[in-house]
Amino acid sequence: MIGGQAIHIADVWCIFEHTSGKKVEALRDVSIDILPGQFVCLVGRSGHGKSTLLRAIGGLNALTAGEIQVGERNVIGPSAERGMVFQDDTVFPWMRVRDNVEFGLKSQPIGAEEQRRIANEWLERVDLVDFADSWPKELSGGMRKRVVLATVFATGANILLMDEPFGSLDYVTRLILHSLLLDLWRSTEHTILFVTHDVEEALILADRILVMSHGRIVDDIIVDLERPRDEEIRAKPEAVRIIKTIGQHLGLGPVKRAHEQRRDDAIIAV
Amino acid sequence: MTLRHRVLEFARERWIGFCVIAVILVAWEIAGHLSPKSLLSQSPIVPPWEFVFGHSFLGMSDYWTFDFLAPAPMLGGEKTYLGAVLAICYHSALTLMRLVLGLVFGTVGGVLLGLAFSWSSFLRRLASTPLHILRMFPLLAMVPLFQFWFGANTKGAVTFIAYGVGVVYFATTINAVSNIPNKYVEYARTLGASRMRIYRSIVLPAIMPELGASVILTLGLAWSTVIGAEYIGLDSGIGRVLIFAQFFSNTGRMTLITLLIILYATISYALFRRVASRILRWMPSSAFADAAVVRTAKRDDQ
Repeated sequence: MIGGQAIHIADVWCIFEHTSGKKVEALRDVSIDILPGQFVCLVGRSGHGKSTLLRAIGGLNALTAGEIQVGERNVIGPSAERGMVFQDDTVFPWMRVRDNVEFGLKSQPIGAEEQRRIANEWLERVDLVDFADSWPKELSGGMRKRVVLATVFATGANILLMDEPFGSLDYVTRLILHSLLLDLWRSTEHTILFVTHDVEEALILADRILVMSHGRIVDDIIVDLERPRDEEIRAKPEAVRIIKTIGQHLGLGPVKRAHEQRRDDAIIAV
Repeated sequence: MTLRHRVLEFARERWIGFCVIAVILVAWEIAGHLSPKSLLSQSPIVPPWEFVFGHSFLGMSDYWTFDFLAPAPMLGGEKTYLGAVLAICYHSALTLMRLVLGLVFGTVGGVLLGLAFSWSSFLRRLASTPLHILRMFPLLAMVPLFQFWFGANTKGAVTFIAYGVGVVYFATTINAVSNIPNKYVEYARTLGASRMRIYRSIVLPAIMPELGASVILTLGLAWSTVIGAEYIGLDSGIGRVLIFAQFFSNTGRMTLITLLIILYATISYALFRRVASRILRWMPSSAFADAAVVRTAKRDDQ
C-alpha cells in the first residue's frame, strides 16, 4: 500500500505511578499533528518522554488524558496499521527469517501463497533472500534489524513507529540502514515516527524534527535540506543552526528558537 | 568426523572416568567373593558379577507366569534363559508403558493448566501459593492414598505418575510464561496477532527451553514414582519384581533390576536429548545445556 496516514495528538497527558507511590509525568499536555507521509524524528534526552509518546501512539501505553487519532479513529490499543520497531532485538528467535517476515501477514485474511509472495518481495528489498531459511541466531545485529524492517513493512502498516531502532549498531551498519530505510520510505510514502537521541541521525533522516524535553514538545523544526544528506549537506549553515538549536533545547546553553539563532548569526556576520 | 575419530576423542576425554568405573566394578567383585551369603536365598550379600548375570539372570524366569513360549517355573516348569528374557521384557514393557503414559498425561496436563493459569494475573496469584504447598507434598508417601483412590492397578500408577510430573510442569510453565520478555509479546501485538495466536506462536515456543530443563527432572521423577508405585502396590512391572527379590533377600536379582533401571533411564535421557536438540535447534548453542545444569543445580540446593 502506498501512502501514509495522519496522526492527530491532542492534549495528551501520561502519568505513571511507581510502586513507591511516586508519580512521574512522562507526557505533559502534548498536542501535535503529523501529516501523511512525513518522516518525523523525535529528539530528546533519555527519560524525557520520547518513547512514552511513541508507545502511546502504538497503543501500548494508556493515556491519562487527551486523545490520539490515526485517520479518523481513536487509538485504543495496538493495531497492525501501526508497525513498531523496538530498540531491543525483537526478531523471534524460534522462527526462521521467512517465518518472522510472514508473522504479521498470517494475521491477515490473505492466502498462504500471497503471504509467501509478499514476504519474498520484502526479503528481496532488504537484501535477505539468501537468508530466508536461516535462524536468527545465524545473523548479525544489522541483519536482524533488516528482518524487523521487512516484517513491519510487509504487514502494510502505513504508520511506522521506530524507537531508537539502530541505537545498538556500529557506525557503518547504521549508515547503511539509514539509506535502506529512506529508500523504503520513499517507495512506500508511509508516515514514519523515529525516536533518537542522536541529533546527527535525525538530521540525516527527518523532514521534521520534534524536540522533547521534560515531557513536552519544546520545538518543531522543519528540515528543508536536500537529500541525500551527506557530510557536506550536514555542514551547511542551515544544518548547523538546527543542530545548535536542538543542543540548546537539550541543555547545552540558553534556549533560542531557530529564527532567533538565524538573527544572531546575521548580527555576527555584520 | 569419522566414527573412529569420535570414539578416540570420547576415549581421550573420558578415560579417567572409565578407570574409576572399572575400579568400582573390580572392588565390587572382590567384595562379592569375601561377603557372606544371605540365609534365605543363598545369594551373597554383595553379589559378584558372574552370579548376577548367571544364577540371578536365570532366576528371572521365575517371573514368567504364562505357559507358552517358555516353561513357567511357577507352574512346575524349568528355569530357562528364554524365560528369563521373556520375563524381563514383559515386566519392563509394563513399567515403560506406565511411565510413558504418566509422563504424557502429566506433561500435557501440567503445561495446559499452567498456560490456562497464566492467562491473567488474577489466576496466577490464585495458583501461586497453593502450588508452593503442593510441591512440598512428599510424593512417595502419597502412593497408598493414590492406590486407595484410583486402585492398585495400571490406572492408579499412571494417575500417580501424571500427578507427580504434572505438578512440576504446572509450576514450571507458570514461571516460564512470566519470564518471557515482554518485548516479544508487544512486538507480536503491533503486528496484529490475536491473543490465541500469541499463545500458540510466541508463548509456547518461548517456554520450551525452560520446559526442556524440567524434562530431565521429571524423567528422574517418573522413574522413581513408577518403581515406587509398583514396589508398593502393583502385581507386575520391574518394581514388583524388585520387591519379590527383596522378600527372599535375593540380592543378585535386586542388583540385576537396579542395573536394568539404570540402563533404561540412560536410554530415556539420550532419547530426550535428541528430541530436545531438534526442538530447540533455534537456540544459540549450549544455552539449553547450561539452563538444564543451572536448574538441576538449583533443585539440588533445596
